Amino acid sequence: MSDVAVGLVLRGWAVDPASGREGAAEIAVRDGVLERVTWLAGADAAGLDPDGMLILPGLVDLHAHFREPGNEDAETVATGQAAAAHGGFTTVAVMPNTTPAIDEPGMVARVRAAAGASGSPVRVLVHGAVTVGRKGETLAPLGELADAGVAGFSDDGAPVHAAALLRNALAYAGSLGLPIIDHPEDPTLTAGAEASEGYVATVMGLKGWPVAGEAGAVARAIAILADTIVDVPGARLHLTHVSTGASLAHVRAAKAAGLPVTCDVTPHHIAFADEWIAGSRRWAWEAVDADGLPRDPWTDGSLVAAPFDTSLRVNPPLRSPVDAAACLAALADGTADAIVTDHAPHTDVDKHVEFGWASNGISGIETALPVVLAAVDAGRVSLVRAVEALTTGPAQILGERQGVAPGLREGEAADLVVVDRAGTWMVTPETLLSRGKNSPLLGRELRGVVRLTIAGGRVAYSAD
Amino acid sequence: MTPEADRAGAAPSGPGSSLPVVAEVPAVDAHPASQPVAWRHRHLLDVDVLTREDLELVMRTTDAMSEVLARPIPKVPALRGTNVTILFYEASTRTRVSFEVAAKNLSCDVVNIAAASSSVSKGESLVDTVRTIEALGADMLVMRHGVSGAPYLAAEVFGGSVLNGGDGWHAHPSQALLDLYTLRSSLPGGSLEGRKVVILGDALHSRVARSNIWTLTAMGADLWLCGPSTLLRGFEAWAARGAAGRPFTVTSDIDAALRDADVVMALRIQKERMASGLLPSLREYAARYGLTQERLRAASPDVVVMHPGPMNEGVEIAADVAVDPRSVITAQVTNGVAVRMALLYLLAGAQHAGGHP
Repeated sequence: MSDVAVGLVLRGWAVDPASGREGAAEIAVRDGVLERVTWLAGADAAGLDPDGMLILPGLVDLHAHFREPGNEDAETVATGQAAAAHGGFTTVAVMPNTTPAIDEPGMVARVRAAAGASGSPVRVLVHGAVTVGRKGETLAPLGELADAGVAGFSDDGAPVHAAALLRNALAYAGSLGLPIIDHPEDPTLTAGAEASEGYVATVMGLKGWPVAGEAGAVARAIAILADTIVDVPGARLHLTHVSTGASLAHVRAAKAAGLPVTCDVTPHHIAFADEWIAGSRRWAWEAVDADGLPRDPWTDGSLVAAPFDTSLRVNPPLRSPVDAAACLAALADGTADAIVTDHAPHTDVDKHVEFGWASNGISGIETALPVVLAAVDAGRVSLVRAVEALTTGPAQILGERQGVAPGLREGEAADLVVVDRAGTWMVTPETLLSRGKNSPLLGRELRGVVRLTIAGGRVAYSAD
Repeated sequence: MTPEADRAGAAPSGPGSSLPVVAEVPAVDAHPASQPVAWRHRHLLDVDVLTREDLELVMRTTDAMSEVLARPIPKVPALRGTNVTILFYEASTRTRVSFEVAAKNLSCDVVNIAAASSSVSKGESLVDTVRTIEALGADMLVMRHGVSGAPYLAAEVFGGSVLNGGDGWHAHPSQALLDLYTLRSSLPGGSLEGRKVVILGDALHSRVARSNIWTLTAMGADLWLCGPSTLLRGFEAWAARGAAGRPFTVTSDIDAALRDADVVMALRIQKERMASGLLPSLREYAARYGLTQERLRAASPDVVVMHPGPMNEGVEIAADVAVDPRSVITAQVTNGVAVRMALLYLLAGAQHAGGHP
C-alpha cells in the first residue's frame, strides 16, 4: 500500500499550478523521486487531453475531521489517511474538535504519532484550538501549540464568539506567524438551526439558519482584523467553509482593501443546494434558471429522493442555489482561495436519527475531486483554477513553514495524483474507505476516478 | 421501489394499482381489499404529494365514515385484525384519542405508546423503537414527533404503513384533511374555489398551517397567511413561488387579511414565543391579532371560524368567538374521527394492493 514508487512512467494531461503549465506530459518517477517532466507536443501528445488521464500535484485539504481521539468509530487518523489518499489528497490538516480537543502540545503529538504509526505516506498537519477546550472562554496555549508545529488555530465546529477574544487570538497568533481559521457563525442567530433559512426550510418546517448568521460574523471578523494589523502586521484571518454570497462580498471587499484575509469553500456548498433536503439531487448550478433565479423543485419534477436525508445535515447548512452559485463564482474569480472538504465522518448512531438531531457533517474527502470536476465539466470553473484551489491555494494559506509546496517539480519526492477523468465509479458504503458513510452521494455514479496517489514518493493509494 | 415511489410514500405498483377510480362512496363496512379504490400511497407522511383526486377520494371516504358514525353502533368490522400502534413523542389528547377512536371504530386492535413512559426515555433510538413495534406485530404506525421529518425515518424502516400524526413544524396531514372536510360541509356549495381563507397567527411554528397551505390551495382557495412578521418568517419566500406554483398571500396587515374573508382559522400562540423574543407579550398579541367579534365584522357575514385546538381563549381567539354559531371548532373534532377512519381505511387498502403481508 505504501511502497516506494520505484519506477513508473505516467502519460496524461498534467496540470501544474505551481509552474502555471497545463498540457500533455510524460512524467517519470524513480525511487520515489519525480525524475523528469516532459511536456509533449504534436504527435507525441496524440490521445492525451483534459478528458483523459489527468496528472495533478497531490491535493491539499486545509480542513478535515479525523475524529481521533474520542470518536474512533467514526474515523481514525489511519482510516482518514486512507480515505484522503483515495480522494487524491496527499496533505490533510485536521481540525482540533476531537475529544478531548487538541488544545495543548501533547494532543498534537498524539495525532502526529497516530499518523506516523499508520504507515500511510499521507501527510497529516494539525490545527490547534484557539481556546481551551474550544469553549470560547480563554486562549489555548497558542505559543506552545506553535512550538509543537500546528498549522493554524481554529475552534472549528464553533465560532470564537466573543469579539474581544477573537481580537486577542488574531493578534497573538499573528505574532506567531500563524492564521486564525475562523468558523464564521453568530450563534445567537443559529441556535437550533436545521437548514438554511428560506424557501426550502420554510416548506419543510426546518428551523432556519439565516445568511446573516454567517455574513455578520464574517464582517465582524474582518473589522477586527483591520484593527489588529495596525499593531500586528502579521495577523492573518482565514474564513473557512464560507457558504453565502453575502459573506463572499465582504471577503471580496476586504481583499480589495488589501487586508490579509483568505477564505475557502467546500465541494458541497458549491455543488449541492438546500433543495437536496427536499429530495432533489441535481447539481446546484442546474437548480438556477438562465436569469440566475432558483428553480422550484416542487413544480419541476426534480424531487426524486426521500426527503430529510440526514447525510445532508451540515454546518453551515446547504444553501440556496443562488448562494451555491455565488460560492462557485468566488472560486472561479479567486475570492475563494481554496477548496476544503470539511470531511466530517459520522457513525450511523449519530446520523441514522431524526433530522434535527443528526450530527452535522458530510463524509466528503473521497468525493471532493469528482464533485469539483463536475463543476468543471459544467463549464463553471476552469480545470486549472479548480486544481489551484485544491493545491497551491491551500498551500499558500498554510505558509512555507509547513513545507507544503504542491507542484510537479523534477528532483523532488513525487507527490501527485492520477485521475481517470472519464472513468466513473459508484459511491457506496463499500467503495468509501472512510469509516463515515454519511454521504448524500451514496448510490450515485461519479465521473472522475483516482487511479494512483503518490505522497512523498510513496504509493498512498492505487486502484490497480 | 423507484426513488419516485419511495418519496411519495406510494405502494409499489401491484395488481390493485390499475383499478379504475370509483366516484361513488366506498362501501366501508367491508375490508378495503374488496374495494376498487384508487389510493396509491402506502404511507401518509405529508400532504404535498396528494393530488386533487387523492383529496377528493379522502373526502368521499370520510363521507362514508361519517355515515358510520351516525349509526346507533358506530363501528364496522372493516379492519378487524389490523394492529394499529399509536406512538406519540409529544403530549396530545385530541389527536391521539381521535386516532384511537377512529381505529377502534374500524375494529382495529390498538396499542398506545406514550414515548415518555417507554424505553424511549432510556435513550432508545427511533429506528430501534419502530423495529420493535413492527416485531410486536403492528401493521400501521401512527406517530407524532417534535422533530420535522421524523415519520420519514420511521417509514424507512417500518414494513407497514406510517401515518404522520404531526411532526415538528412540518406537517399535520390528518388535521389539514379534517379542516378540508369541515370546510366542505360548512361552505355554501361545499366548494373552496375562490374562497378567501385566512390562517391567522403563528405560521412559523405551525405544522397545521404548512399542511393547510398545500391542501387549501389545491382545492382552489384564495389563501392568506396573517400574523406578526416574526411569526411569518420565511413564508414570503414560499409565497413568492406558491405551493407547487399555486399562489397565496402573506401579510401582517390583519385588516386587509380579514376583509371579506370566508374562513378564518386562528392558530395557537405558545408562551415560549415571548421568551425567544418573537413577541413582546401575549397582551400585545391579543390586542393586535386576537380574533374578536369586532374584527370579525370585517369578514363575510357567513364567515366560518376554525381553530385546530387547543385554544388560548382571550389570546388568539375571544371566548365568544369560539362559541359563536359561525364557529365550527367542535365540528372539526367530530370530523377528525371520520377523516382518520378514512385514512386508516385507505392506507390499509394500499398495503393490500402493494402486496404487503
